[in-house]
Amino acid sequence: MSSINWRNVNAAKKLPDRLLNFFAKYPPPPAIFERKTTFKSLQLPKTTSEPVEIPSTTSSTDPNASSVETVADTLPPGSEWTFNPFAPQKNFTTGRWRGPIYGLRQQADLCKLAQKCGALDLMPPSIKNPETRAKRREELGLRVKGTGVGQKVKGHIWERKIKGKLEKRRVAMEGMPEMIRLWKQRGHGRGWKKFPK
Amino acid sequence: MAKKTKSRTIAVRLVSMAMTGYYKTLTRPRTHRPLSMLKYDPVVRQKVLFLEQKRGGGGK
Repeated sequence: MSSINWRNVNAAKKLPDRLLNFFAKYPPPPAIFERKTTFKSLQLPKTTSEPVEIPSTTSSTDPNASSVETVADTLPPGSEWTFNPFAPQKNFTTGRWRGPIYGLRQQADLCKLAQKCGALDLMPPSIKNPETRAKRREELGLRVKGTGVGQKVKGHIWERKIKGKLEKRRVAMEGMPEMIRLWKQRGHGRGWKKFPK
Repeated sequence: MAKKTKSRTIAVRLVSMAMTGYYKTLTRPRTHRPLSMLKYDPVVRQKVLFLEQKRGGGGK
């Protein structure tokens, strides 16, 4: 255990100052390191809860069911962040909300930096976490209406009617040689009775 | 009141039978039989049959 801690310390020394300062201010819960040692995974997503972290509900039951099992498998008890500087906090006395310590731009910067250094698992849950973002992108699709599976858009009226129109035209053109033949047969329209309305 | 005299010729609409909505307007004597001819339809880009549209109510 001690050797692994040393490894962590050595690794931490290589981190950029910005990340070191962040971790000094907001150290990750110790259980996260245990997870890293026991479950070898550096790339396991830690997408517990990007919604607001309220002190009473630290267990963080997340809305996406897919991540539930991975989190349950990987996160030992006590590895949740008691205070998330990336989430807004509610003051229960006044009932007012206070914004996150780090704004979204700073969160994104820190997360990107952490990813670069391989310390993404040590960051608190954030919507700017690249893994969370990838997951959300997967869930939400391209955000272009009608591109998802089974999605449809209403479209312009001409777009809605074009299919039927083209089909009608195709059928009409298929019968055109026969129609012209008949028309010629009947004296170039002399005996023609059927005129369009 | 004297009845208004009808003109000798009328303007008629020849619609493409390719169902493209393309039409040509021609004039013919009122008493002539309905017009029909082969003409070029630019939508389908070929010669197709054009038939005179039946004249509806609308004062025609």
